Amino acid sequence: MTNEEIKGAEAEEDQQAQSKKALKKQQKEAEKAAKKAEKQAKLAAEQHGADEEDFAKDRYGVPLMVQSREKLDRVLVRVQDLTPKKADQLIWVRARVHTSRAKGKQCFLVLRQQQFNVQGLVAVGDRASKQMVKFAANIPKESIVDVEGVVRKVEQKIESCSQQDVELHIERIFVISQAEPRLPLQLEDAVRPEGEGDEEGRATVNQDTRLDNRVIDLRTTTSQAIFRLQSGVCQLFRETLTNKGFVEIQTPKIISAASEGGANVFTVSYFKTSAYLAQSPQLYKQMCICADFDKVFCVGPVFRAEDSNTHRHLTEFVGLDIEMAFNYHYHEVIESITETMVQIFKGLRDRFQTEIQTVNKQYPSEPFKFLEPTLRLEFTEGVAMLREAGVEMGDEDDLSTPNEKLLGRLVKEKYDTDFYVLDKYPLAVRPFYTMPDPINPRYSNSYDMFMRGEEILSGAQRIHDAQLLTERAAHHSIDLEKIKAYIDSFRYGAPPHGGGGIGLERVTMLYLGLHNVRQTSMFPRDPKRLTP
Amino acid sequence: MPMYQVKPISGGDIKIDLPTCMYKLPNVHTPRSGFGEHAHQNGELDPAMQALEARQDEILRRLYELKAAVEGLAKTVTTPDADLDATTIPPQGGASTMLTGTADLDSILGKDPGALRDIVINAHPSRPPLSLLVLHGLLCQRYRVLSTVHVHSSIPAVPPELLTCLGPRHAHSYARQHFQLGFTLIWKDVPKTQMKFSVQTMCPVEGEGNVARFLFGLLSPGADAAAATLSDAWVDTALFQLSEGGAKERAAVLRALNAALGQSAWLAGRSSPWPTSSAPAACTSPAPPPPPRPMSRGG
Repeated sequence: MTNEEIKGAEAEEDQQAQSKKALKKQQKEAEKAAKKAEKQAKLAAEQHGADEEDFAKDRYGVPLMVQSREKLDRVLVRVQDLTPKKADQLIWVRARVHTSRAKGKQCFLVLRQQQFNVQGLVAVGDRASKQMVKFAANIPKESIVDVEGVVRKVEQKIESCSQQDVELHIERIFVISQAEPRLPLQLEDAVRPEGEGDEEGRATVNQDTRLDNRVIDLRTTTSQAIFRLQSGVCQLFRETLTNKGFVEIQTPKIISAASEGGANVFTVSYFKTSAYLAQSPQLYKQMCICADFDKVFCVGPVFRAEDSNTHRHLTEFVGLDIEMAFNYHYHEVIESITETMVQIFKGLRDRFQTEIQTVNKQYPSEPFKFLEPTLRLEFTEGVAMLREAGVEMGDEDDLSTPNEKLLGRLVKEKYDTDFYVLDKYPLAVRPFYTMPDPINPRYSNSYDMFMRGEEILSGAQRIHDAQLLTERAAHHSIDLEKIKAYIDSFRYGAPPHGGGGIGLERVTMLYLGLHNVRQTSMFPRDPKRLTP
Repeated sequence: MPMYQVKPISGGDIKIDLPTCMYKLPNVHTPRSGFGEHAHQNGELDPAMQALEARQDEILRRLYELKAAVEGLAKTVTTPDADLDATTIPPQGGASTMLTGTADLDSILGKDPGALRDIVINAHPSRPPLSLLVLHGLLCQRYRVLSTVHVHSSIPAVPPELLTCLGPRHAHSYARQHFQLGFTLIWKDVPKTQMKFSVQTMCPVEGEGNVARFLFGLLSPGADAAAATLSDAWVDTALFQLSEGGAKERAAVLRALNAALGQSAWLAGRSSPWPTSSAPAACTSPAPPPPPRPMSRGG
């Protein structure tokens, strides 16, 4: 026999073997199908039988889609209002099915509404049939249901629910919107503290999965708390500044020229030409000051085309910007800004304690500490502290990010504050429109503010004199043609002024001691993410 | 009779050490090594091993002790007013040094860092450190002091008097560079009055009396050792017996004060930096609560 013949024989044998296997497989599949059919028939028969004797069939089901067919007067009670006061009342609730667990003749459902949840119970009895219990047990998690039930006090506290003293004995249950049975992530996994998951071999959800399925991730108690608190930051910012006599303004986001240099701006096509997305409302804030609005603030999106993939950079974020005219010294501006920040911190501490606690459960952190009035250190002091700690740096070097963090730790150790101002930066490291220090021209009237060692605000007294501004721009070798409009704004009399801007996401992140700005941005935009 | 007779080439008495085996190996079956191996498997330790470990432990323990001793020494050396060796300081002629010129802060606090030297004092608003406020006043007479008062977020609110307790704000407080010394008082939820100066080289100083000693050190570098000891004693008396003691202890202090002041117009001798009139004023009106803190050092 030649080699080829041998091979051929082997192949044949193989084929035979395969066909034998295939045959067996087919046989098995046929058996399976037969069993399945039998089972289905049995099930159908059962159901048929059941349908006939189901006395509670009007008490559950999937009603027609709510298409505003009728306007019911039915009152829906909020889950958070289900307290022992409501005991023994028959009420309607609309909520999501958080979890369900069937156990013999009863089914426990945890019904969730935002960060509140309550235990519901469907048990076979004179109101609920066996079929109804089965139906309830089969409602997929995260479906929205309308239930009618009696509020009952419980003897033992229900530890797993926010409404610990009552449960709901369900008498009717209708699915308003059914969720798909397979969820892309489990809510319990998404709120599990980071360390705990590793230890017990339980799942946690990684950042990208969360962000890809943001709608579900935002339903978690932690996300609910974060964004409620963030809304609080905005609200407190507006409230405090309005009380201080500031005017809220709106500035354009599509602009013709880059306001600061022009390196990190997004270009968009604008009919036959191109335009840029505003990287700061600064020019417009300053124009409002020149137009005698005295004190202004604005809340709006800011765009930065920086290709930096760090925990604290986004390409689009919400800027909270302040600009104000002052009388004689730019410290009036610092005081206004720091007072506003302290009001925000106090407001958060007093009004959002529940939210802070909720976030802390998943992401533990020390409470945010601050001083009133805010601590103001000078740049040279900061440098001296860093040098004492062994850092080598020049007098006029800017602080690197690790040095900022280290300085934050040193300041925290000495003054026990998470918020402070570093004043009088070297002129060389600030933009051209920064007012130089009158005594030592190597320094400037500019300041940064820090939360937990990370910069949140950068601001300065701005040069309000066209001539000095031209000189400084020339010194920085900036094309005067490009910033002509900016310089021209100061030619017709401009009050001395200063300001600064903070990023809403960053402030929320640092206040809560979180580690990634994407957690505090609802739909974050970074160099690698444009969706959802 | 032999056929040939040969004379022996060498003496028959030479001893040759002939090997008894080709390769020498330690006996694996000897009871000793076998036992050792067995014991090891059972988790028991070789006595030699145990001795070695004990020795290592002993060395480590001695190292830790040494380390602690060195650290303790380092602390006393780097604490500015603790490194004064009383025996080497010549007794000084009283108030003369105290009242002439400004003392050189560099010599007391170390090299000029090129920035404001800020003393941070944390105090609880329910127990204001009155003695420190007096010392603050004295420091202000001697140096250009930038005084600031803050409220820490651990305290919900403080009475307005406490916010202005360091006097009105300095007219040039905006330029921190122009001051020699910073005096930052923070009303904070602390169990004991606490002072922080250089977080790198100094541990926090706790207790009002100790902070007072540090501040007084800034006023009178190298004070007369005997007088310093005397005033130290008075500080302790005032703090432990007068303000924290019971009625009996207070009475005892008053008797002691009376005796001391009966002999001399000064509580701690003439060399004390200021007339003691304000100290007895504080001492003789201990009307708790809150117990007013008597003036420390020399007072």
